[in-house]
Amino acid sequence: MGAGRQMRGFLVRAASLLAILSILACYDKVLESREKEEAYARLSARVEALETYIAQSSRQAETRGSQEEAVQDGSLYKDGEWEGEAEGFGGPITLKVTVEKGEITDITLLSAEKEDAAYLSMAEDMLPAMIEAQSADVDTVTGATFSSTGIRNAAAQALKKAEK
Amino acid sequence: MKIQKKKSRRYLRAAIQLICFLFFSSAFTAAFGGVKYIAAQLGAGAKIEWTAFVAALAGLCGYTIVFGRFFCGMACAFGSLGDAVHASYRWICRKMKKRPAELGEDLCEKLSVVKYLVLAAIVVLCFFGIYPDLRGMSPWDVFSMLHAGNLKLRGYIPGLIVLLAILGGMCVQERFFCRFLCPMGAVFSLLPVLPYFALRRSREDCLKGCAGCTRKCPSDIGLAGDGSYETDGDCFQCQKCIGTCPKENIHCGWKGLRGDERAFTLLRAGLLIGLYLWAGL
Repeated sequence: MGAGRQMRGFLVRAASLLAILSILACYDKVLESREKEEAYARLSARVEALETYIAQSSRQAETRGSQEEAVQDGSLYKDGEWEGEAEGFGGPITLKVTVEKGEITDITLLSAEKEDAAYLSMAEDMLPAMIEAQSADVDTVTGATFSSTGIRNAAAQALKKAEK
Repeated sequence: MKIQKKKSRRYLRAAIQLICFLFFSSAFTAAFGGVKYIAAQLGAGAKIEWTAFVAALAGLCGYTIVFGRFFCGMACAFGSLGDAVHASYRWICRKMKKRPAELGEDLCEKLSVVKYLVLAAIVVLCFFGIYPDLRGMSPWDVFSMLHAGNLKLRGYIPGLIVLLAILGGMCVQERFFCRFLCPMGAVFSLLPVLPYFALRRSREDCLKGCAGCTRKCPSDIGLAGDGSYETDGDCFQCQKCIGTCPKENIHCGWKGLRGDERAFTLLRAGLLIGLYLWAGL
């Protein structure tokens, strides 16, 4: 009798754990398929925009040169390699931002000796996000606040130097 | 002979605790970082990636399902800190011939619910994205900063106060933090721990009225009998009960394994360290 009740407690825990794991797995699957749909929609919108652009530019071929210059002038950063440094978890983090044709093309960590490997690898996820946003102002990584705030501040410092 | 054996097991545990404290102090925060990360991603409607934190969380949970909370009793830096603080307090009391303060058993039982509230509160705060704004309040941040030799504690005063309060609690009750407050412990104690390596006692030939194991236990657990599937979520696998039983009635659910053999302890510690390296801690 007692043993049966104890067994039930164990089974309830096991079932709850399985339920949580399968919910998380389904959640990820749904997001993945949604992401694919969005990417598809974005791509087709871009193709459409390009098509109209080509149609327009073939009509006004002579004005194209000046348009390109305008794009150059609209950029925020000076070309070159810029370094920044800021305090992370246990010490300074330094990184290098590469700007080409006014765009951030690469951000590399130069040193972060005092950071914990697991935390740093979480915080490194911010680098591609910064390149995409063309700015240091991206969300920090929950749980790796020190390292990611350090990376953000270092990138902000580097970009400050690069500003026109 | 027997006393010597008992002593060597105690030293082995202390050595494992010290090594883990020095080299793998971030295991607990990294694994719990996995919980916070999952809650934050769910709240933001973002995908849950297989990050280092999630790996640490999954690894430690899997390990606990097989071996029970061996991690808590042997390897967690915060648990080891608590053991050291409690032992020092007891030692000072003995030297000064003073009676050490203690929490009553009833109060302890009530307080052990608090860790689930801590877990729920942190999960909710992460889900709604409020947690990052509370920087400076977390006692674990302060602990890991001190552990890393980072003394720039300005802005972390609330966390420091909470940490000091916890240290006070560690004095008066063994495993105060683990049993009452640890949100990772709350996760562990909700897991379905398999009965093979969890501790059981053969009740039939116990001395009449003896409750030595329960009194020795930091969580006041009365262990389940042979063949049971019930494992108390607050058993930290500290193995104190095994050595204290005069009739040697305590053993693993797996017949023939006591649970405090040095080789078995070393094997489990080795597996745990392998797990750390795999998760990249």
